[in-house]
Amino acid sequence: MSDAGLQSWRSQPERGVAWVMRACVVVALTAGRGVMRLFVPLIALYFTVAAGSARRASRAYLARVLPRPPGLFDVWRHFATFGAVILDRVYLLNDELKRFDVAIHGEESVLDVGRRGKGCLLLGAHFGSFEILRAAGRRHAGLRVSLGMFEENARKISAALTAINPGLNMDVIALGRADSMTRIEQRLREGAFVGLLADRGLTNDRLRRRAFLGAEAGFPLGPFRVASMLDVPVVFMFGIYRGGRRYEVLFETATEHLGADASHSARGARLLDHYAERLEFHCRDAPFNWFNFYDFWR
Amino acid sequence: MAAKTETELNLAQLIVETLNLEVDPASIDPEDRLYGEGLGLDSIDMLEIALAVSKSYGVELRADDENNTKIFHSLRSLARHVQILRAA
Repeated sequence: MSDAGLQSWRSQPERGVAWVMRACVVVALTAGRGVMRLFVPLIALYFTVAAGSARRASRAYLARVLPRPPGLFDVWRHFATFGAVILDRVYLLNDELKRFDVAIHGEESVLDVGRRGKGCLLLGAHFGSFEILRAAGRRHAGLRVSLGMFEENARKISAALTAINPGLNMDVIALGRADSMTRIEQRLREGAFVGLLADRGLTNDRLRRRAFLGAEAGFPLGPFRVASMLDVPVVFMFGIYRGGRRYEVLFETATEHLGADASHSARGARLLDHYAERLEFHCRDAPFNWFNFYDFWR
Repeated sequence: MAAKTETELNLAQLIVETLNLEVDPASIDPEDRLYGEGLGLDSIDMLEIALAVSKSYGVELRADDENNTKIFHSLRSLARHVQILRAA
């Protein structure tokens, strides 16, 4: 999109999207989680039948991660897990963290970093629930968290936020712009935590191809180069859905895996390799939490 | 290709060195786009440039500058901005 194009949609209020979002949210909040969850299997079934490319992507992924050849039931379960996590976003955004049973691991070390007033780079993936991570973060008043996101997603998210909880204050840094990283650097320098989903590339980002679940896949070097360049603590974060009301939140400190090479790219590559290893570990541990419904290995 | 001023040439050298680019600094068109097509840099390259420029020229390129897209557009616009900052 051209800069002028970006400007024009940014200045538009996006009433349509916000209105539909609000309607869905009102229904979800009124009916309650229990009722809404009855629809998840049906919606998952619909996607299993109707969404051809997502189904193929799901099956190809599951074939890599499951110990047996995946059937349609596995694909359905994959979509149902995704649906359940998406639905829970509504309740998490509505500050209903208490209704969930959340086990949090490794939080102390992250909070320590925060207390030292140093910024921290939090790297996640399109894996499990991002919202549970944010909800966990909101428990700590005064913790400043910024999120790097693509403009289009950022717009959708802010529409959803306004619809659900206008009081939520979220700082979003638009990715895919010339000054995206300078903005991130500034936030880090101010001592904020910056979260990025590091499994998908930014536009015209350099990729590092490496083995992932048995075949070569391209991971964006960007977030890892930034980590090495800025010399800030790096923490991997995973919000895993365990079924029912159960979530598991994991923070894994990763700075020590930066390596000691001279160049940012080499140091970043070392960290990226560690990230891919951890992601692979969690994929094997909780296979249905993988939410990249496209050919990740292309 | 448009002729380069001294600042532009210095800046081109700094960029090539910082990013280990395999191009001759003299061959960079000062009006080419730096980000995306053109020199093909990504936003992390831009950050590296911003940090290197701040260090070598003793100026601060602010992340929240509304005009960043314009400032980082080309070698020419960046050089102009650096000169304005240094004069200030």
